Amino acid sequence: MNNLTIGRHISGQFNEDLNRLINNVMQMGGLVEKQLTDALKSVEKSDEELAKQVISNDKQVNVSEISIDDECTRIIAKRQPAAGDLRLIMAIVKTIADLERIGDEAQKIARVTLENFSGRQQDLLLNLDNLGRKVLEFLQIVLDAFTRMDAQTAIKIHSMDDKINREYEALMRQLMTYMMEDPRSIPQVMTVIWSARALERIGDRCQNICEYIIYFVEGKIVRHSSAKEVKKLKIKN
Amino acid sequence: MISVTPKALSGNENSIDLNNLSPEQKALEIKNLNLFYGGKQALHNISMSIPKGQVTAFIGPSGCGKSTLLRCINRMNDLVDICKITGEINLQGENIYEKHVDVAQLRRKVGMVFQRPNPFPKTIFENVVYGLRITGENNRRVLEEAAERSLKSAALWKEVKDRLHESALGLSGGQQQRLVIARAIAIQPEVLLLDEPTSALDPISTLTIEELIYDLKKQFTVVIVTHNMQQAARVSDQTAFMYMGELIEYSDTNTLFTMPLKKKTEDYITGRYG
Repeated sequence: MNNLTIGRHISGQFNEDLNRLINNVMQMGGLVEKQLTDALKSVEKSDEELAKQVISNDKQVNVSEISIDDECTRIIAKRQPAAGDLRLIMAIVKTIADLERIGDEAQKIARVTLENFSGRQQDLLLNLDNLGRKVLEFLQIVLDAFTRMDAQTAIKIHSMDDKINREYEALMRQLMTYMMEDPRSIPQVMTVIWSARALERIGDRCQNICEYIIYFVEGKIVRHSSAKEVKKLKIKN
Repeated sequence: MISVTPKALSGNENSIDLNNLSPEQKALEIKNLNLFYGGKQALHNISMSIPKGQVTAFIGPSGCGKSTLLRCINRMNDLVDICKITGEINLQGENIYEKHVDVAQLRRKVGMVFQRPNPFPKTIFENVVYGLRITGENNRRVLEEAAERSLKSAALWKEVKDRLHESALGLSGGQQQRLVIARAIAIQPEVLLLDEPTSALDPISTLTIEELIYDLKKQFTVVIVTHNMQQAARVSDQTAFMYMGELIEYSDTNTLFTMPLKKKTEDYITGRYG
């Protein structure tokens, strides 16, 4: 975390608390990233074992969220953080909530693997590939920006969600066509739609994390600002 | 720093612009104030406006000049022989350091409460009306009304109304501090200066005084010096951070405690090495 000066607190205990907290968030981020990677892989390879593993590992994500949340509460109660420290804690509390939801979405995607798709219908799942790759890339960059608390990157990639939304809309149109052409495929296409929707939601949550990074580093609230407004932001450092 | 932010989303749209207060909004205006103790300069070119009817807190490490600045506002530093002051402090448009200013009159307008409660060895009633008595007020009814009003404003009336004529020294520390505040406000000052008013009190008495400060700003302008940053964050509308005799940052309390502009302020309020 280049932008953090956590080690400079007069209280060594506070430094340790914050360092431990940040390490735990990074670990949780890594776990969520693996969950999404595995979920997408399980769909691509029709690997039911891997899908089951993703579903079962979601508990670990939930446990991480509760434990980090608890740590944040304890730090607020004991240390009454202010300024950058307070913004860091608030950014972490919000980030882990979004990471936990990304974990839930990954679990939803993995469940698709366990559905019964016939050979021809299996091709429907290929449609998720492109969107999945883009969302995974977004998540990886966001987690990297979070680790370095890099507001510049957060601003740059904030608009990636718009690209994901466009991709999602294109996929929707394609899936609609399938349903119109062959109404018997509607149940399977609906399953794919739910997965696409889960990926789209992960994009939204990655965008939220960008906003928390900007809030922590710059002290500016950019939530509910348009992509244009966020792009206009200029950072001194 | 980010140069563009949707103002409505900044969360501070209700704060006042401290650099552009109208004369009606200003309780005090400090201009280019320098203070020297002999050859040592304790305050460096302080300029700030303190808004009316609000609580302004001065924070900073020991020896940064916050108490010295507070004491300048009712000329308490006049009592220090080696002290030399340049610059202005304007109260109601008049520089309090003008030669013709009557210091006793000034202190009627600018009351002060100190770190340790200092009740006089008199009854509770006599403590409260002391300021009125020395200005020649002896009408029993006026004094009784003033005592009741001040004790109520100081949130002490319920606790002492049945023992007004007992010694004030029998009160607890927290009650004594509220009594001293009642004594200060009995003469209806414009400004109330509080110099670490809760540093000698327990947490419950501290919270009672903080609640009182919140109520007092409806009637008076309050300026408080405190070492307790959380207290400044809780009670004040504006906070000024001072360091080595300089005013480093002065802004609304919400901003100063969540997104200070200066690194020195950030380091101090987050407990980092400077």
